Amino acid sequence: MKKTILTLAAGVSLALFSTVSHADTTPITQEVVVQNYAGLVYTSYNAAYQDGLKLQQAIDGFLANPNDDTLNGAKQAWLTSRNSYGQTEAFRFYEGPIDFADADGNEGPEGRLNAWPLDEAYIDYVQGNPNAGLVNNKGVKITKDSLSGENQANDEAEVSTGYHAIEFLLWGQDLNIDGPGNRPVSDYAKTANNERRRAYLKVVTELVVDDLKFLVDQWAPNQDNYAKTFVQDKDALSKIMTALATLSGFELASERMATALDSGDQEDEHSCFSDNTHNDFIYNAQGIMNVFFSAGLYEYLETKDDDLAEELEEQILETKKLIAALPHPIDREILSTPKGSEARQKMEMAVSSLQKEADLFKKAGDVLGIKVSINE
Amino acid sequence: MHIKHFAIAIIAYVSFWGVVYAAKDTYDSAILDNALSGGETTVFNYSRDAFAKPAANLPTKKLRDFTFGNKMFNTRWVTAPASVTSLDGLGPTFNRKSCAACHFKDGRGKPPSSPDEPMMSMLVRLSVPGNAADGGPLGHPVYGGQLNDRAVHGVPAEGMAQIFYEDIKGQYPDGTPYSLRKPNYKFIEMAYGPLGDDIMFSPRVAPALHGAGLLEAIPEDTIMAWADPNDADADGISGRPNMVWDPINNTKALGRFGWKANVSSLRLQDAGAAVGDMGVTTSVFPEQNCQNAQTECINAPHGGAPEMSDTQLDKMTFYVSTLAVPARRSIDDPQVLAGARAFEQARCIQCHKPKAMTGEHAVDALSNQLIQPFTDMLLHDMGEGLADHRPDYEATGTEWRTAPLWGIGLVKIVNKHTNFLHDGRARNIEEAILWHGGEAEASQEAFKAMNKEKRDALITFLNSL
Repeated sequence: MKKTILTLAAGVSLALFSTVSHADTTPITQEVVVQNYAGLVYTSYNAAYQDGLKLQQAIDGFLANPNDDTLNGAKQAWLTSRNSYGQTEAFRFYEGPIDFADADGNEGPEGRLNAWPLDEAYIDYVQGNPNAGLVNNKGVKITKDSLSGENQANDEAEVSTGYHAIEFLLWGQDLNIDGPGNRPVSDYAKTANNERRRAYLKVVTELVVDDLKFLVDQWAPNQDNYAKTFVQDKDALSKIMTALATLSGFELASERMATALDSGDQEDEHSCFSDNTHNDFIYNAQGIMNVFFSAGLYEYLETKDDDLAEELEEQILETKKLIAALPHPIDREILSTPKGSEARQKMEMAVSSLQKEADLFKKAGDVLGIKVSINE
Repeated sequence: MHIKHFAIAIIAYVSFWGVVYAAKDTYDSAILDNALSGGETTVFNYSRDAFAKPAANLPTKKLRDFTFGNKMFNTRWVTAPASVTSLDGLGPTFNRKSCAACHFKDGRGKPPSSPDEPMMSMLVRLSVPGNAADGGPLGHPVYGGQLNDRAVHGVPAEGMAQIFYEDIKGQYPDGTPYSLRKPNYKFIEMAYGPLGDDIMFSPRVAPALHGAGLLEAIPEDTIMAWADPNDADADGISGRPNMVWDPINNTKALGRFGWKANVSSLRLQDAGAAVGDMGVTTSVFPEQNCQNAQTECINAPHGGAPEMSDTQLDKMTFYVSTLAVPARRSIDDPQVLAGARAFEQARCIQCHKPKAMTGEHAVDALSNQLIQPFTDMLLHDMGEGLADHRPDYEATGTEWRTAPLWGIGLVKIVNKHTNFLHDGRARNIEEAILWHGGEAEASQEAFKAMNKEKRDALITFLNSL
């Protein structure tokens, strides 16, 4: 059987995975898959962190000299940073460092980094309400601690931090079906009125960078950290595959795609302010491929069930093809079209492929004798 | 899944209680020795999302209805008219803008931490003596059946309830002191004048929602077989079904949901909460929640008829129905086993029934599951201390439905508090037990009579659920 190697997108280098290569005669073991995976997670978070630093630089540059060019630079940096972060979502859903919950319910940074959907009026002014949001609520200090504390404190839609908060602060509300949000650069002019908004953008960006650094540190090789315990965890493969099944079958297929199709509401678009939703889909799917192909999961499964490995490979590639073919921006080209439209059918096919993929991951779990569940 | 064999449990149990029970080599526990509280729907998640997961046996294709329902549950309704017309129609008067605002993380609400703070996950039901046409409580002529403490712009909120606690000191027979807090209520900023002397009110926190569909799937026959309205077996515990009005099927039906089991199905519960708590109409309850005297409320624009579509309501109900129950933890821990025994000895299981078999349900995943809800779904007189003196259909002013206990130990993780009972007065499980009176008085006394070690074990057991 032909081994499929796919290039990792956006800064994730294959070079680090020399451990993947193994003598052709030696079948790949579960231990090697887990080792490779830990390396992949580290490299992927590091890529997201480096892009986060570039985003921070661009935002600092924008705040120092707010004009259309620097705003565009910040937006471009945000879009790039989403691509590397999107791939890391394949490492969620098993209480690793990103989600982590201990006996006291302390959580990892996922909710602070990527909470969505968000009620933009919780952050800043919106059409019809010029004084809305934490930006305009002078009773709340704009510090890392306070904004972090306000994030989903009483209501899941009350998101104060993370990528999507930055997105809204850069783009503004997406009130126009023909394009993304169009926040005026004057919102960041160096005036007393804008001081809190300027501070807010700086602080939430710092939080994103801090959280990405935390994730990098937790997965760094040869350290006393989560990665060290993970590679010895007998349930590691179960966690790896539960993450893949959950991202494909629940988060991507249902939460982000099917719900948007079913409701037709623009706010169910994942990155609605920037119209970047199609890239969110693409890089989430890429994250699944990174694990399946580059960590050696495909080859490991092949040693146990040739046919299933091939079936899963085909399904994953089918998903990639279907997602790549989605017309975008998603809100204009798909969600605002009538029920039964060709564009909607295309997205339905992607949903269906992701669901099949998730069920195949569960089936692979049965074959490998490990528990693989969707969103437990 | 780790289902331990019963024999192992016995050994651990005997070793803990040593000589006292060593003679009894078989302990026929009514409490199952497996962790699967929700049968095949059970999830193994003990994080802040422990109550927010879909039933584990739900087919992958069904997850899109779950996530759509979740979106509806989290949606913050906006004032009509708005650009998103499918989600406008908040109020005119309301308590919160979304379901999730009270049922945060699908979990439990709590009372405000001071009288000056508004209620965030709690409300107050109102009525006056008499019955409505359907046999239910007769709403206040001016304020209706529930105090709406918020309203859209241009419409007055009805008022605000404040809670003032008084300390009640008590002592265990072994001399250990305890204190309970008894809430007293004051109504302020009442838009249409005082409530009047004949007002009956009942403050209620939002209950956690995990396993709601499984409770709906317990066959009526099972619940009726547990009922003993005249205490024929003379054990001091009656257990009465609340027969309520079901306006969807236009018939009397067994009440299952709400603190007094005054609602017969989850669809009704969701539609009732939509109109009562958010002011959002449905085909089930198409009338705006505005009383005759509330002119501004009546004249305010609405968001369509109905404001929430049947599809939206159906999917939201599907979501609430399929919220999974998290598995038990530490079931083989000797202290947990000792606590289980103490729970049985104190006869708590007379009402907090440890297991039930679900019947057929419209959602296949919920059908024929062996579950561990720790409720009999029946009404019990809980004594004067907890009484709200507000009858609700056949429930008297001292009766409450046995609260399910599954997941109780995870409330502190999910909602970061341990406030229990209908009004959240108990600050922890121990206080909740100590408030039990009426039919539960004997069990409460039995708990108090236990030594500290055994009381702690019983609470550790409850925290394992």
